Amino acid sequence: MNKNKERIAVALMILATVVTIVSVFAIENFKRKQFYTVELIARSPLNGNWISRGKDGIWHPRKIYVPYGKEVKLYIRNIETVSHGFALPDFNLDPPINEIKAGEVVIVKFMADKKGAFPFFCTVWCSNEHMHMSGEIVVE
Amino acid sequence: MSAPSKIIKICFLLSTFYFLFSFWNSFAQSEKFFEIRAKKFSYTPNIIRVNKGDLVRIRLISEDVHHGFFLDGYGIRTSAHPGQEGSLKFVADKPGRFTFRCSVTCGEFHPYMVGYMIVGPNSRFWMYGGIVLGIGVIAFLTTFLCKKQNVQG
Amino acid sequence: MSKDKLFGLVDLSWRFELTKFKLIRALFKSRWFPLLAIIFNLFIFVIILIAGLIGGFSAGNYNFGIMIVWILWWVMLMFVLVPIFSRAWCLMCPFPIFSDWLQRGALFNVNTGKLNGLNLKWPKALKNMWVMNILFLVTTFFTGFFTVRPLATFILLGGIILLAFIIGIIFEKRSFCLYVCPVSGFQGLYSQFAMAEVRRKDPEICKNHKVKTCFVGNECGHGCPWMLAPFHFTKNTYCGMCLECFKSCPHDNMGFNLRPPGVDLLVDEKRGLDEAWKAFIMLGIAMVFFLTMQGPWGVLKDMVRGASLKGYLTFISLHSAFSLLIVPAIFFFFSWLSKLFSGAKEVSLRKIFTNFSYTLVPLGLGVWIAFSIGIILPNGSYILHIISDPFSWGWNLFGTKNFPWTPVFTGSLGYLQGLTLVILYLFSLAYGFRLARQTYPDEAQAKRGWIPILVFLTLTTLAFLWLYIG
Repeated sequence: MNKNKERIAVALMILATVVTIVSVFAIENFKRKQFYTVELIARSPLNGNWISRGKDGIWHPRKIYVPYGKEVKLYIRNIETVSHGFALPDFNLDPPINEIKAGEVVIVKFMADKKGAFPFFCTVWCSNEHMHMSGEIVVE
Repeated sequence: MSAPSKIIKICFLLSTFYFLFSFWNSFAQSEKFFEIRAKKFSYTPNIIRVNKGDLVRIRLISEDVHHGFFLDGYGIRTSAHPGQEGSLKFVADKPGRFTFRCSVTCGEFHPYMVGYMIVGPNSRFWMYGGIVLGIGVIAFLTTFLCKKQNVQG
Repeated sequence: MSKDKLFGLVDLSWRFELTKFKLIRALFKSRWFPLLAIIFNLFIFVIILIAGLIGGFSAGNYNFGIMIVWILWWVMLMFVLVPIFSRAWCLMCPFPIFSDWLQRGALFNVNTGKLNGLNLKWPKALKNMWVMNILFLVTTFFTGFFTVRPLATFILLGGIILLAFIIGIIFEKRSFCLYVCPVSGFQGLYSQFAMAEVRRKDPEICKNHKVKTCFVGNECGHGCPWMLAPFHFTKNTYCGMCLECFKSCPHDNMGFNLRPPGVDLLVDEKRGLDEAWKAFIMLGIAMVFFLTMQGPWGVLKDMVRGASLKGYLTFISLHSAFSLLIVPAIFFFFSWLSKLFSGAKEVSLRKIFTNFSYTLVPLGLGVWIAFSIGIILPNGSYILHIISDPFSWGWNLFGTKNFPWTPVFTGSLGYLQGLTLVILYLFSLAYGFRLARQTYPDEAQAKRGWIPILVFLTLTTLAFLWLYIG
């Protein structure tokens, strides 16, 4: 009986399954901690419009709340089946983006160096309500 | 040989002649313009026919969201937003049936949003059709002409 | 017996034993193989499931699960794994690993003695392809969902692995693999065309070996979990290439051979209507899939994706009727013509129908390979995107996240499809005529009876040619 080989085989199984699942979510969690990370979901106004979640863990419809003076990493995730766009004219977005394709995630960074409320909106025709797909970033 | 076999042999030969005859039909070259409307998840018209050598112009109009248009074999593409058209102009110098596909993710069935452009004569099809028919005929003949069979038919 | 040469070139009895090379034999005899390959595929499978679950309802072309399964794996299966290596996917498939672990009580070691689980015998009446035929057909009802919605792929694959586990607890050994797995059905039939096989080497050794350890197992390897008798099975259909027999044979008498394609089609054993229907179903599905998904008709796509309930129900009824009734009926007509032309009174129509259905195997494989070419050339580039960003979280593991959609060689697509159909059509003819001689006792009868089948094969090939490139 090969006790050690059996142990290795079982270890590999656990590696392939449990460890993979845990690692995947752990890596993602770690990546999101390095900046002030905000998850922004792009949805057309027919499906709820923009909605964001920052460190407070609360979903804010059509609003993004970020702290003043921090570098913000925005994960813009398009969970729909059409393209959306994103523009935030009052800040410098890095990298400059135009289209977020269906199912895609686009990451933009910017420095929240102004206090106040600033508009953002979708820049790609996505639905009949496209003109109303907008929100506000609040820096405080 | 028996009557059914004779009939079949004649049918095969007639079909082969028909294929060859169609192949030789040629058409005059001209300019063709198509206004293609794209809507999830198909194009209208969905099949366009041109002749080899035609100068083809395509105006792509989107009826709902951002759609694309990529033409197999020619490798050219364009796209259209609603209210902003796309256009293509090219010479259809390659004969055959080519698929044009949506090149901008427009919805869940995006990978299946296709149309066909047929540049006639579809020599690729006639060639393979002729080969298959020819093999069939040869198989038929060798069945009855050879004593011992080891090859196809 | 005279030497039968395929196309006058390749001797049908030619075999090249790959396991005569020391390294390959050592690999096959090691208990790490195929265990490591299975564990690796399990890892990929876990990522597929995570991506499917997270992907939810977003578009499938940027989803790891959908791209790896329906673009990479499916195409590899049709192109390389089945036609060349027979059931090599089954060799490394992760679906049964959990039930195997439970049954055997170990992953690596061999516990001699009774297997865990209920170990019920699979019902005799279902020891054929019928369950798989129906399951596969039913799975295709949902093609408009699981090929495009990540969550649907998650549900499908998660469901299959759950089913594999449950069946593995209740029934003996690999009953799931043999009689339930939807992938198993078409692999089983088409592997008869494959260019590789697992067979015993020297029949004399087996004859003198009293305890058939390949079947009952010993401390080196389990008894064949596919419940075959490795010492004398003659067809690839039900051999999942798990390689246990390589490990348990004390005389090293199992071999992995390369061989000419299609030789199993002439083996007159265990032929049945279940396999005939599998051939019809595969042809029918190829036609319906092409029309709905690669065709330009939006109305068909709306039906397949369930835009309206009525359209969807129409699709599944027509689809089922076509594969289960119409295609077989057309083939039945030509089989009847075959009997009529041959003038053979003593050969049953059922036998003619069943035997000649095997001519549809090479052509069917050709149809599916051509279909796969039409998938991989336009859409293969998506794979570069999803390996870098498997969960749409903005990762860029290999730097290829932003690789744009790039169709390749689309100008050659039609030529490749035509060529594939022609080549496999030739194989169908080669085997068809030989099947005619097997079916009809008299040479003259065989020649006459062959003609309607020849016509059917030619017309079918022309139909698919027109569909793909016309």
